[in-house]
Amino acid sequence: MENSKTEKQQLFEKIAVAVAFSPRIEAILAQAKELQKIFNSHLLFIHVGEHTLQQEQYLTHLIHRFGLDLPHNKIVWDSGEPVEAILAICQKEQVDLLVAGALEKESILKYVMGSVARKLSRRVKCSMLMLTEPSIKPNGFKNIVVVGTDHPKTENTISVAISLAKAYRAQEVSIIQESDPSKLAIIRSDELLEHEVEQHKDKIQKEEDEKIEEILRCSDCGELQIKLKRIEGKPGYVITQFARENAADLLVLNSPDRKMNILDRVFPHDIEHALADLPCNLLIVNPKKDEDDNVA
Amino acid sequence: MSKLAHNEVISLILSIGMMLIIARLFGEMFRKFRMPLVVGELVAGVLLGPSLLGRYYPEMSGIIFSTGTNVSIAMSGITSISVIMLLFVAGMEVDLSLIRSQGSTAVKTSFVGLIIPFALGYFFAFNFYNLFGDNNANDVLVFSLFIGTAMSISALPVIARTLMDLGIFKTRIGMIIIAAAMFDDLVGWILFSVVLGMMKGAVGHNFIFTFGLTILYAAIMLTVGRILINKAIPWAQKNFSWPGGFLSISLGLAFLGAAFTEYIGIHAIFGAFIVGIAFGDSVHLTEKTREIVQQFVTNIFAPLFFVSIGFKVNFVDNFNLEITALVLGLAIACKLIGASLGALWGGLKPNEALAVGFGMNARGAMEIILALLALQAKLISEQLFVAIVIMAVVTSIMAGPALALLLKLKPTVLENENK
Repeated sequence: MENSKTEKQQLFEKIAVAVAFSPRIEAILAQAKELQKIFNSHLLFIHVGEHTLQQEQYLTHLIHRFGLDLPHNKIVWDSGEPVEAILAICQKEQVDLLVAGALEKESILKYVMGSVARKLSRRVKCSMLMLTEPSIKPNGFKNIVVVGTDHPKTENTISVAISLAKAYRAQEVSIIQESDPSKLAIIRSDELLEHEVEQHKDKIQKEEDEKIEEILRCSDCGELQIKLKRIEGKPGYVITQFARENAADLLVLNSPDRKMNILDRVFPHDIEHALADLPCNLLIVNPKKDEDDNVA
Repeated sequence: MSKLAHNEVISLILSIGMMLIIARLFGEMFRKFRMPLVVGELVAGVLLGPSLLGRYYPEMSGIIFSTGTNVSIAMSGITSISVIMLLFVAGMEVDLSLIRSQGSTAVKTSFVGLIIPFALGYFFAFNFYNLFGDNNANDVLVFSLFIGTAMSISALPVIARTLMDLGIFKTRIGMIIIAAAMFDDLVGWILFSVVLGMMKGAVGHNFIFTFGLTILYAAIMLTVGRILINKAIPWAQKNFSWPGGFLSISLGLAFLGAAFTEYIGIHAIFGAFIVGIAFGDSVHLTEKTREIVQQFVTNIFAPLFFVSIGFKVNFVDNFNLEITALVLGLAIACKLIGASLGALWGGLKPNEALAVGFGMNARGAMEIILALLALQAKLISEQLFVAIVIMAVVTSIMAGPALALLLKLKPTVLENENK
């Protein structure tokens, strides 16, 4: 938490919190408080849908209780379809991070049709933190698993994850490189000799390793203990399994490259594997506009 | 129940043993010249079958590939099983999630790469039907659809290797093209199944019934079936010996799927192809397991299938220069135009797009399977079959040198890297 103010501001200057009057509302606000403290952010509390005077008073009370009634924080009450309204507000307010509570797993029907949090995660233009087990006494993120798969967005995602890990003083950061066996199988079926296949494989892996090492060289990792691990399997699925098996408390993934629809849930790939059954809290990193231009 | 006589059993076993060894020897010899194994296997069949050895020394040829009635029936059963397994493995290469992840760009690229060859092939066959020789004249429409489909097929492994040589296999563009080629395969085999369904003379169902069941089968297998298979694999992994358990279950389901599609009036291969996709998409399938299935099928059953082709058709008597030149020219023109335009749209530079065109122009083993099935269905003549096989071989052979020329690569990138 000793980061320079500049770095803090660069990460998440404005954080929006999707507020639903569920039993977890206090825990979500507690997490928001922690984020604000660490990143020195402005908070925006968004509630979409009908609300009563009683609810307004309750939210104001909670905000006061958590010491969040600061001049630069504000509450936005809106009506209409929740996903569309929250997306519009995030865009209008130039939010850097959207925070929302999410269930680890939903019923198949709800998953296919899409819950509010999952719909937001597939469409939001800023980064999004999905909290599966928000706590009234947040303990930060100590065991972070980050995507290291070869992709133009990965560099930015790792950089955000490292900043976050430093801010939270994470004890363990694992960067996971995923090797898709189905792609290697295609090469193998071209009747190559075993050593030729291995050479192709090694060449690909060496290039990927060099990219990750270059990213880490350029990042200020401080005293963080970063582990690099390569796992064979479908991208999105293996990292989710790794996070689950290693009891990670935060999984950091790239944002989807395009708007996802129902077919992406029927034929899941990448982030959809995580959304189908969240192993822990999930941070989806969306490059900011200027970073996005570099990525493109 | 009738059974093979003692000498027929010996003959069958002898045939299988010799075919496997000869196929391997020829395959390896051709691979030394950077040609696909399948070309060597085919050539072995042609040289040892009625085209050459059988013409002058029929007894000797008969030892390798017995023509006795009962043994022929047994061999025919084995080659039918082989082609079903080959399509199962081809299905395993189709990665639906990759196609989805690449989105509409891959579909557009695929569409251009597929629709142009298909349309040109269809148009040409429909309007110049007689130029293709003496084929099934009863239904020009079905014949033209077949030619369109034959022009659209491409060999996925060859395109993968092309992209690897280009150094763009792992890039976004590379993945778009791989996804497009996979989508081409999927659509190509559906189209071919529909074409066979339209012929329907062999079975008793009407076309709408067959077509409806085909779509239903594919839709169920690729959604519910795929999910069930994905859930069943970890269970089987825990309770069965592995990978033996996987081999039994996956191939067993492939045969069940094949039996179903054969029953509803389209070819058995389609059922196996779809089951292959459902298995190949599983997140629990490791590289090692994939490799075992692939090695088992491509090194035992594929050679038997490809060598046997040379024994079934006389390539010398049925060789027709005009038809072969027409099929070859049409195939190259169709695929080069279509696939290159598709790759260009996908974002490649013109010379790279042309390289991809040549890569996708390689028809490989799949085209030969397609042609043999059409021959068995009496849709095409032996002359056209020979022309298509030659086209498949030539396009596969020319892919490598054409790429080297276009990309100014040295002939063996890997060998050079070794030094």
